[in-house]
Amino acid sequence: MSHFTLQFDAGGPLLRAVVSVSAARAGALTAASQELPPPVPIQALVDTGASCTCIDPDILINRLGLMATGEAECLTPTTGATPQKMKLYDIGLRIMAGSVTEPHLYLDPLPVMESGLFDGQGIHALIGRDVLNRCVLIYNGTTRLFTLSY
Amino acid sequence: MALEKEVETYHARLPELKEHAGKYVLIHGDKVVDFFTSYEDAIKAGYQQFQLQPFLVKLVQAVEQVHFVSRLFAPLGLRSSA
Repeated sequence: MSHFTLQFDAGGPLLRAVVSVSAARAGALTAASQELPPPVPIQALVDTGASCTCIDPDILINRLGLMATGEAECLTPTTGATPQKMKLYDIGLRIMAGSVTEPHLYLDPLPVMESGLFDGQGIHALIGRDVLNRCVLIYNGTTRLFTLSY
Repeated sequence: MALEKEVETYHARLPELKEHAGKYVLIHGDKVVDFFTSYEDAIKAGYQQFQLQPFLVKLVQAVEQVHFVSRLFAPLGLRSSA
């Protein structure tokens, strides 16, 4: 397995990733003679409290020009007991390894939920358990290091 | 609103779709197009058949799985423009 280890601080376990249109959508854009939007580098928080990966809509809609291709129900602390309908988008997600010798973790297509949650928090996304279920996550709070193996 | 028709179709046809529970359904407008064993295959088929037009890919579930995100935020739901 490939892996990387990163230090974290009070902001929690953060990692760098790149979000792009999915390969299937890229094919459709090319067939329509439309330009591919450039991939968007993001900072994401590893969040075991999120059952799915969530990304800021500014990246999904304004930067990548995506249209929703799915919907799901979601509960958050602000929804109360009634699930809210949320849009899902198909993307390519590349989690950058810590060194150039390690392969990146690349998931495509990955359904992600749009969530306007990150203003002022310094992050663009939550890496949820849908991605973490494909990895081994070691969180060492005493040394403030986390390791992701994939 | 994007996907409104497709989502409506999914819920209206859910009683008959349930026999395909566990598969991904591809819906375009009011038409149930096909079922797939993987999300990847369904998305590929959606873009191949409908290019950049709206289509819905959804896991057919007898009981809808509800996602949970514990970090505080105000969900956008289906209100935004895409």
